[in-house]
Amino acid sequence: MREHDIIVIGGGLSGLRAGLEAKRQGADVAVISKVPPIRSHSVAAQGGINASIGTDDSWDSHAYDTVKGSDYLADQDTVEILCKEAPERVYEMENWGTLFSRTGDGKIAQRPFGGAGFPRTCYAGDRTGHNLLHTLYEQVLRAGVRVYNEWMVTRLATDSNRCTGFVALNLLDSELETFRAKAVILATGGYGRIYQRSTNSIINTGFGISLGYRAGVPIQDMEFVQFHPTTLWGTNILITEGVRGEGGYLYNKDHERFMDKYAPESMELAPRDIVARSIQTEIDEGRGFTGGYVQLDITHLGKELINERLGGIRQICIDFAGVDPITEPIPVQPGHHYSMGGISSGKDGLTPLNGLYAIGECACISVHGANRLGGNSLLDTIVFGKRAGEHAANAVKNIAMPSEDSLNESLAEERSNIDSMMGDGGESFADVKDELRQTMQKYVGVYRNREDLETGLANVKALEKRGENIHVKSRVKTFNMELMNVLEVKGMLDIARVITEGALVREESRGAHYRTDFLERDDENWLKHTLAYMKDGGPKLEYKDVTITQFKPMRREY
Amino acid sequence: MVYLKIKRQDESREWYDTFETKETPGMTVLEALFYVQEHMDGSLCFRYACRGAVCGSCGMLINRVPRLACRTQVGIAKKENTREGSGDIFVAGQKSEEENEVILIEPLANLDVIRDLIVDMDSFYNLVDSIKPWISSPEEHPEGGNLMDPDLREQIEKYTNCILCACCHGACPVAARDDTYLSPATLAKAWRMHLDPREDNASRQERLNFVDSESGVWGCDLVYKCVAVCPKKVPPTLGIKALREEIEKNKEN
Ligand SMILES: Cc1cc2nc3c(=O)[nH]c(=O)nc-3n(C[C@H](O)[C@H](O)[C@H](O)COP(=O)(O)OP(=O)(O)OC[C@H]3O[C@@H](n4cnc5c(N)ncnc54)[C@H](O)[C@@H]3O)c2cc1C
Ligand code: SF4
Ligand code: FES
Repeated sequence: MREHDIIVIGGGLSGLRAGLEAKRQGADVAVISKVPPIRSHSVAAQGGINASIGTDDSWDSHAYDTVKGSDYLADQDTVEILCKEAPERVYEMENWGTLFSRTGDGKIAQRPFGGAGFPRTCYAGDRTGHNLLHTLYEQVLRAGVRVYNEWMVTRLATDSNRCTGFVALNLLDSELETFRAKAVILATGGYGRIYQRSTNSIINTGFGISLGYRAGVPIQDMEFVQFHPTTLWGTNILITEGVRGEGGYLYNKDHERFMDKYAPESMELAPRDIVARSIQTEIDEGRGFTGGYVQLDITHLGKELINERLGGIRQICIDFAGVDPITEPIPVQPGHHYSMGGISSGKDGLTPLNGLYAIGECACISVHGANRLGGNSLLDTIVFGKRAGEHAANAVKNIAMPSEDSLNESLAEERSNIDSMMGDGGESFADVKDELRQTMQKYVGVYRNREDLETGLANVKALEKRGENIHVKSRVKTFNMELMNVLEVKGMLDIARVITEGALVREESRGAHYRTDFLERDDENWLKHTLAYMKDGGPKLEYKDVTITQFKPMRREY
Repeated sequence: MVYLKIKRQDESREWYDTFETKETPGMTVLEALFYVQEHMDGSLCFRYACRGAVCGSCGMLINRVPRLACRTQVGIAKKENTREGSGDIFVAGQKSEEENEVILIEPLANLDVIRDLIVDMDSFYNLVDSIKPWISSPEEHPEGGNLMDPDLREQIEKYTNCILCACCHGACPVAARDDTYLSPATLAKAWRMHLDPREDNASRQERLNFVDSESGVWGCDLVYKCVAVCPKKVPPTLGIKALREEIEKNKEN
């Protein structure tokens, strides 16, 4: 059994920021991650991070844009924290070495992003995530935080409503071990890969969210799934919103700049949910190109600007679609991008389970509501990462290490769970996973309605049954990827089920959740958060009020 | 159709397996490896994460060239000479006379193999970490953040783009003969930190002293293989040369 006062699960931006803070506050802290931290999905973020550091900008203008973008589902007290703390967190990253793009006079440069009333997105070319993540990892090294690379956490241990640690699989030798802690911080990222088309890393299966769910913690607002309007046709690698921020145009096959039909004021810079639906409508109504895409054109921006600010995007287009955006438009289609929902947690990342925190994309601290604005999620990771690290460091000072009993029990349960999965025959994880991803894409996508959602739910339930019968055939001990995949597929099924049920019950359209059979937002009945608890036979849904402080819900227009 | 000839390895033996895989348009080598892993041999292992050439996980030898599997298209690699049996590491693919339909896939060179295509990256990370690769800035930042000249930023950026994939390390003849050599990636990072105006002078000097050795900048053969294979266009050799100049300038003073 290993032990630390605080263990952070996940080495992306949120996990590293939490670990660093806890260490700075003097705690004994470790980070454990299934891939080395710099391989985490955060590295892929392109466009930027929001902070109201411009001279005419203000935190409440940032807060207003965030709340409006969220279609009024975000909790306004947490949004306030996000926006108020933003400048400090961004300057801090700058001071630690992040290579932000600069204005002519050497200040941090900012670009416009969708849904924002001000160019408030700080960026490092189109490699913002890469620059931020490497900077934080460097500072984590400097601080001497212990990092366990290539360990996959498979089960949280609990004892009378307290998290006592977890069981993890060492990928190097397939041995299970227990980790005991006074506080555990989940920072495991999103679930993008339960959709067939996703901008996310292949490792983003949402398994961490199911760890919390299985430990009895409610997961919140899962029906709100963000689809990014512009993912590269075919591989669905992200084409950042920064491309539209820099002045890119969207065209259908008749060379119409169709956004004037849907958002005449903000055109290509309307929020993501709106642009994604507009593109999908063009495609569905036959005005897309064969194969289901539209064109994102930046040829008019010129070679110099493209190389300077969108060099990474240009390379992606060349490598993955054989298109050079200096001379040709980029083929794009909407794809899954971000998880607004996640493990329910508060302003310091605390979940309803004592000693357990959740931050970053795996959490729902409720700053993004029904639709996240671009540039707010990187911000979310470092603002709430710091808060959770600080809170946990203070909390562990006054509590004792939990007893070993619950950990030993969990270890025994996990051993028998894994033993029961080994063997020949049965279902293959790849078939179940592929069918699940198709089902989610087809029936729980950009547009939803009762009939589709019911079909989707029936499919997910059938796949859950088949999931019970998946076997791991490979007996290798060193890096048994099949075992890792089988464990993860089961978590993917949990999450798919909650998203689909939540979407079926929510009879309104709000933000990214768009029901063609209930076109309007319905504040009277649905201005509330969904909470899903794991019960035998499926999720139990409950609802709770949205915190509203200064911005009264209004109709959203762009 | 395409054949992947994959080097396999475990504690006790080394061998090659050939898998016949279907090919879809635009398919990458990483996707082909998944196809094998999911449908033909679940025991095959390799590293991956982003599938978009940004995370640096999937470096391996493809037709004996160190490169990212997720960025290398099957359609292109299968038209190359596999250079099977050659002991050399090359810096680019070479078109073969006739379509050969075979792609040779092996673990990255100059690092110990753990199993199949997975190499011991910890020894590489330890080299990188030995130069204290962080900015030792003071606790408090100046009001409104530090200022940075946009031109200097551009110079630093070339080196910041490194994703620590170790492809350069796998191509480096010095790393092949000397496992204490700091590696092109490490030295490129040293130069990145050195250039940064936010770094404090004492740490900058300490790092400069550290790389002033045969395992550091003086070990380099200046053959530019690292520059040629780098998927992110980082030029480690130029950084190494610049560091050498700094060291010599220092000694003159
Ligand atoms: C392509 C792309 C571009 C984006 N661009 C932007 C942008 O420009 N601006 C913006 O604000 N947002 C952007 N986002 C969103 C943002 O990047 C992510 O929401 C954010 O980086 C998530 O960080 P995280 O720390 O929560 O998780 P991640 O970075 O995903 O890290 C998760 C960590 O958890 C670990 N882990 C997971 N499960 C386990 C387990 N069971 N055991 C052990 N470890 C585990 C993983 O190894 C990993 O280290 C983008 C997203 C995508 C997909
Ligand atoms: S310098 Fe280039 S090849 Fe070397 S590790 Fe960095 S990105 Fe990879
Ligand atoms: S999988 Fe990330 S670089 Fe290839």
